[in-house]
Formats: sequence, structure tokens, C-alpha cells
Amino acid sequence: MKKIHILGIIIIAIAIGAIFTTLNNTSTYASFAEAASEPDSEFHVVGKLNKDKEAVYDPKLDANLFTFYMVDNKGMECKVVLHKNKPQDFERSEQIVLIGQMQGLEFQASDILMKCPSKYNEGQPQASK
Amino acid sequence: MEYIGEHLGIGKVGNVFVILSFVFALLASISYFLAAKENEEAASWKKIGRIAFRLHGLSVMGIVGTLFVMLMNHYFEYEYVWHHSNRIMPMRYIMSCFWEGQEGSFLLWTFWHVVLGLILQRTAKNFEAPVMSIIALVQVFLASMLLGITIGEYHLGSNPFTVLLREHPEYSKIPLFSDANYLANPAFDGRGLNPLLQNYWMTIHPPTLFLGFALTVVPFAYAIAGLWKKQFNEWLKPALPWTYAGVTVLGIGILMGGAWAYEALSFGGFWAWDPVENASLVPWLVLVGAAHLMLINRNKGQSLFTAFFLAILSFLLILYSTYLTRSGILGETSVHSFPTAGMAGQLLVYMFCFVIMGMGLLIIRWKHFPKQTSEEAIWSREFWMFVGAIVLLVSAFQISFYTSIPVWNKLFGTNKAPLKEVIKFYNNWQLPFAFVVTMLIAIGQFFKYKNTNIKEFLKKIAISFFVALAFTFLMIYILDFDDRYFSILLFSSIFAAVANIDYMFRVLGGKVRKAGASIAHIGFALVLLGALISTSKKEVISQNTSGKDVAQLGKSYSNNDNILLTQGDTLKMGKYLVTYVGKRHEGINIYFDVDYFTKDENGNLVKEFRLAPLLQTNPRMGNVAEPDTRHFLTYDVYTHITFADMEMLKDKKETGDEYAQAKNHTIKKGDTLFSSNAIIIFDSLSVNVDKAKYQLKENDIAVEAHFQVLDIRKKYKANPIYVIRDNSIQPIESKVDELGLKFMFWQINPEDGKIQISLQEKKSNVRDFIVMQAMIFPYINILWIGCIVMAIGTVLAIVERVRKK
Repeated sequence: MKKIHILGIIIIAIAIGAIFTTLNNTSTYASFAEAASEPDSEFHVVGKLNKDKEAVYDPKLDANLFTFYMVDNKGMECKVVLHKNKPQDFERSEQIVLIGQMQGLEFQASDILMKCPSKYNEGQPQASK
Repeated sequence: MEYIGEHLGIGKVGNVFVILSFVFALLASISYFLAAKENEEAASWKKIGRIAFRLHGLSVMGIVGTLFVMLMNHYFEYEYVWHHSNRIMPMRYIMSCFWEGQEGSFLLWTFWHVVLGLILQRTAKNFEAPVMSIIALVQVFLASMLLGITIGEYHLGSNPFTVLLREHPEYSKIPLFSDANYLANPAFDGRGLNPLLQNYWMTIHPPTLFLGFALTVVPFAYAIAGLWKKQFNEWLKPALPWTYAGVTVLGIGILMGGAWAYEALSFGGFWAWDPVENASLVPWLVLVGAAHLMLINRNKGQSLFTAFFLAILSFLLILYSTYLTRSGILGETSVHSFPTAGMAGQLLVYMFCFVIMGMGLLIIRWKHFPKQTSEEAIWSREFWMFVGAIVLLVSAFQISFYTSIPVWNKLFGTNKAPLKEVIKFYNNWQLPFAFVVTMLIAIGQFFKYKNTNIKEFLKKIAISFFVALAFTFLMIYILDFDDRYFSILLFSSIFAAVANIDYMFRVLGGKVRKAGASIAHIGFALVLLGALISTSKKEVISQNTSGKDVAQLGKSYSNNDNILLTQGDTLKMGKYLVTYVGKRHEGINIYFDVDYFTKDENGNLVKEFRLAPLLQTNPRMGNVAEPDTRHFLTYDVYTHITFADMEMLKDKKETGDEYAQAKNHTIKKGDTLFSSNAIIIFDSLSVNVDKAKYQLKENDIAVEAHFQVLDIRKKYKANPIYVIRDNSIQPIESKVDELGLKFMFWQINPEDGKIQISLQEKKSNVRDFIVMQAMIFPYINILWIGCIVMAIGTVLAIVERVRKK
């Protein structure tokens, strides 16, 4: 066997390893209900902020604790405990992606991604009259 | 309606240039294709091709010029101008406006291809016809991205000139356009450039990166030409300097992006394995592999297939990354990809055409390749360079595969999301690759082509090995480097740097001109070393020491990276004592001044420096935090705001005199309360109330509570009174005006003697505060130095190679 073949086999092995770990090291976009069914795994839950309910952030008490209510894409609402600071412009967010896991009736989020309307849908031309 | 004052002429001119650039690119490509046939007519086709490409170039310049004129004159009737600029923006950012949008950045890319094409027309000689035919074909695709014509249901490209704002589908119904003279309306202005991009890095990063992208087309075109004309070895020599140039420029472009992220974005570092970053790193890795294989082949005639493969692949990967970042497919996984412009289909066609052309031709021609007579010896330089290139390819594959998760989701209908700990995942995967690569960089040059006397080799390399080992232990000691896994890379990077320095002086006799490769390798090793140390020893120093506590909530998972700073208080943070001094408004930016002190021997505070991280009230993205960093020789102190109460950002005068919401307290004698500025002690209750003084009636029941209110300087008294009159509670408030406090006495519980009071503070009392994150990046300067060294090295290598010609 030539050296090149040995090298080839090693490469293929590593490549398969890369594919395999990629498939294993992902989390899943899910709803709260799906997250609740597997309380120990990490999920990405996409949804919208419930603006009618209270969002509590008291940085003087704990700068790394923020709670609010989110409605996921299937319409289910859940209390969210985010272990981070309240993101700037949180109220303006149009869509939220939470990363974390379900614990009891609360979704414990370790990270949050937001989409603000201004970032994607552009503003409108304006002129006062 | 007849609109007044619109500059419709210039749009038409621009549009003519767009069409011409497409037509001439097509003509150039076809003419050069026919010229490559080498028949009698070839010479005349070549002439036509040359002229057509120059006219194409002229048209592209025309488009660029027209767009600049429109931007500089604020022709907001055009969507692109309105979208990306405004009147108040500083003119020095006009370049950034130009390439902020999808169309402008395509134009920038096209522009660089024109520049490269014009140079190649003069230098490619025998290869001119086939190479230029390919490049012109690439231009056909790029020019089509700007066409903006609709064929049936299908939109081809997106044109920056023809789209008038008033005709834009989203905005056409806006009342503004019912005014024929809307342009004269003084309040009508463009949206302006995203303030986040108003940064000097954004003026130089995109053109550098796009030149890097553009440069990959040259080895690609040469490789295709080589396959096409069956000149399997001849293409290497002219293509090599271009490949090196691509490696240099693309590498610098990527690192500039990192520098921008480090300075203007607040994700806390220079590299986040973001899909957009990966999209340019992957082609770079492959291009580096291609450059090395082309060099082996040039010197020894081996690994021909792989050299072709990588040279073609690096350009195809640029197309793939264009697809990733511009089709909108990345969606949720990346914060800074372009929004879609409905070009996903066109981008896919573009990519597949070249994939089929490149890979198809390679497979067809494979059997014609000159037979490799002997196998590389195991102790030869070419063998290990080959291994290195393959390692780079595998590393690129891993990054690419994981970055492509959204693509797999789309293809297979899955629902996978990248991990939260994505940085760690990539680091763990890439570390072994980086280790092998740096080890190869260290030993590679000490191997000779063909075969090496292994004893001599060991003797030569031994010095570097032991020096590097000593250095590594020293570093581990100084940095308190405890991660064994990372220590391996620490050693190999140092080894790579040391061995190349050694090679440069001992073997090359310190001749700088010949040492391009060594210097570039030293630079690369330093980049890795700097990245490794600054990331793995990155230290978050902003633990919460405010005492306003976290522990009482019992949240063990609280990440506790944020410090709360109240205005005026001095808190310990790492080796510093920090004070939040106050905020300043400058335009749309709000700066938060934070002073850093250390203690001298006598325990006095000595001010070291001030940092002013800012919040940008960005009209397009909301509030964006931008960091501020203090650079020292051996470390950086990097800070950014994670939270500031936006209510408080308003002027205090507006709200100062009002009382904030009351807080209720149930207390018993001797209890202590805290307001933001005082300590309040509940002393006693008394029933001997001076009824006349408070205008109380005879039948009223009144109980007075006595409080001591202490601030730093003085002691005050507060005596709210609990009154029951005719079965209703009508308490009498008590104020401490000096401290802006108001007390109300609401209830007495006779059983346990507890009382309920409410306490209100004036809004002006509540001191401003910020929540901040601070970290130390040690030795990050090694990374920037490495970047410069690498650039110098590759430039030297190019100069040397061109000179040899």
C-alpha cells in the first residue's frame, strides 16, 4: 500500500468524524412543548415576547437575571428565566430565539438572540409636512 | 404625475453602463474563447476580446463613477442612495455607503476583477486567451447581478440605478410621493449609513477582503486554462505569485474584519466562528493549501491533481460563501449576513456553472495527466508539504460542514441549530489541525526536496526544538497556563516561530530577500500564538462586587460576568478600582466614563486611565453597545456596557422633582431600612401627638412613628403619623427634603407591634448606574504583530518570485 493511500484513509476517517460530531453537536429548533418533553437537553426556541405580561429586570438585585414571558411559534406561552443581562432594546424585538432548557414550568435560558424589525425590514422614507 | 427636480438622466446613464458592462463581458468571453482555439482567426478574435474587455472595464468604471456622483450629490430619488446615505453623514464614509448594499459590494468585487483582468491582459502572454475568457465569463455572471431586468416572472439581478424610491414596491404608496415636489421637502433625507459601519476599519476592510476574493479567480482561471489547453505544468509558474498575493490579501482582509469586530462590536473578542467569518476563512485555508501544492509541483512535478483541485476549489468556495452570506439562508445563525435581495437562485446558478466547469474539466483531463513515476520519499519536503496542504483541506472541510447546518436543514428538511458553545466546539476541532500545521511549519523547511538525511535533519532541528521547549515552559510559568490541551499548541506555535527564525539566519544566512517563506511562517505562527494566549487566558474581571447581591437568589448558574456600577461608588474590579463617573451625549452616542485606579504604597488611589464604552442609539439597529479598550504592551483591558437604564438616559431635570414609586416595608422597632442615599432606623412609636400642630380633631386616633435618617454627613428625623378619622385611615406624611425622602405610615399590627410604612424617593435621588463587562486579553499584540510579519513575508515571497521570472 502506498503512503498516499494510508493518508487517504486517515483523511476519510477524520472527515467522517467531522460529519458525525456535527450531527451530534447540534441542538434543535423546537417549541416549549418539545423542550418540556426532554428537560435535560438544550433547545433553541423561537417565539415572540408577550408584551402584556411583566418583564422583570432589576440590575441592582442581580444584573444577570431577567424574567419575561414568551409565546412560541405554536402559541404556547411560558415563563422564561434568562441568566444574562437584559438585552438592549429588548422591547423592540420582533422575534426571539432562546437557547436553554426547560426546568419545571420555567424555561431556563442561557442565551438569547433577537431580531429587531429595524435590522431587517427597512425604515420608511419620511418627511414631515 | 410630473415630479419636480428628479435627476432621471443620470440613472439612465448608469443603466446604460450596466447593460454595456454585461454585453462587453459576454463579447470578451466569447472572443477570447475563440481566440484560444489557435486557428487562423485566433489573432483577430484576440484583438476583439482585448477591446471588448477594456470596454467592459470602462463600463464598470462608468457604473462606479455614476454611483459615486449620485451618492455625493444626495440624489435620494434613487433607492440605493436613499437607502445607504444621508446629508448629515461625514463625507469620509462615502466609500462605506458605496459598498454597504448588496449591489455596491458586487460592484466592488467586479471592479477588482476588472483591475486584475487588465493586468493579466498584459502579463499572461500565451495564457491570455484562455485565462481572460474565464475571467470575462465570471464577469458575465457578476454583471448580470446588476442587470435588474425581469424576464417573465423572474428577476435577474438587482440594479442600483433604475429603482426610483417612489416606484419601489414597498414605498410607492407613501403619502410623501403624492407631492410632486417631494425632493424639495427639507425634511426628506436618506436613511444614512448604519452608524456601526462608520468606523475606519469599514473603509479599508471591505475593499481588502474583496480584493482577496477577486484574487482567487486568477489561480482558478489559470488552472482551468491549464486543463483546457492541456498545459498541465505550464500554468503553475505565472499563477504562483497571484496565489501568494491572494493568500496575503485575503488573510489581511480577514484579520482586518477581526480587528473591526474587536474594536466596534461587543461580542468580546476578535473571532467568534461566525458563519460570515468562516465563509472567508475556509477559502483562505484552501488557497494556502493550493499555494503550497502548486509550489511542490513547480519544483518537483508531484501532487498535480491535488494542486489543480485546490486551486479550483478555493474559487468555488468563494462562490459558496457568497451564496451563504447573500442568499439569506444563514438566517438565524448569523447576525451580520446581508438581507436577501431575491438572488438566491441566481447565486446558485452562478455557483453550479463553475462547479460543473471546474470539476468536470478536472475529471475529463485526469487521464491525460503526466504519469507520476515515483512516489515521494517519506523524508522529503514535498511529502510533508503535501500532508500539510491536506490537513488544511480537512480543517476547512470541518469548518465548512458545521457552518453549513442551515443548508443541510434546507436540503434534508431537518431542524438542527448550532450549539450555544459553538466557539468551544470549533476550537476543540481545530486545535489538532493547528498543531499538525504548526509542527509542519517548524520542520518543513529543514527537509530537503527528494530526500533528507535524517540524522542531519535531527541535528539541525534540535536547537530550535529545545529553545522552543524552554520558551514554552517559561510561558506556561508566566501565564500560569494550566490547560494541557492548549499547551501542546502553545509549544508547536513557538516551535514554528523559532525554527523559522533559525532557518532564516543559519541556513539562509539572514538574506531577507530569500526569506519570504520563513518570515510569512513566523508571522502565521505568531498569529496563532497571539490568538491562543489571548483567548485561552482571557479573563473576565467584572465579577459583581457591588454587594447588591446575587447570592440571595441562590442562582448558582448565574454567569456573574457583569458588574453593576453606581455613579460615584468605587468598586474593586480585578487589579483595579473602578468608578463610574458619568455619561456624555455626543450625537447618537452615549459615552459612559469609567475611571480606573490602583492603590499606591500608602493606600492612596492613583488614577491610571479612563475608558468610555458607549451605547449607540442606532436608528437602524436599536441600541448597540460599542466597547472601549485600553491597550498595553502585554495586555488589553476591554470593556463594554451590557445594560444602562434608558429611562435614566433622559435629562434629569425633566423627572428630578417627582417621587418615584413607593416601596412598602413592614418593620418593627429597631429595624433598619436603606434608601439609595441614607440609612433609616425605626426608633419608636408615640401617641403623644401635638394635635393642634397637625390640625387633628379631638376624636382622631393618632400614632407617630419616629425615624432616624442618617446619611454620611448628618442625622435627620422623620415622623410620619398614622391617623384614624371616622373609621378611615388618613395618614400624615413626613418628608426629609434634604434627602428627597417621603414617609407614610399606613398600618399598625397590635399583635406583634409591627407597622407598615411606605417610603418614596425623589427620582433625582436614584443614582445613575450601568452594568458593564470587562475582560483582559493578554498578549493580543502578538497576534497583530504576527499579522504584519505574515504580510511582509508573503510580499517578499511574491517579489522574489516575480523577480526570478
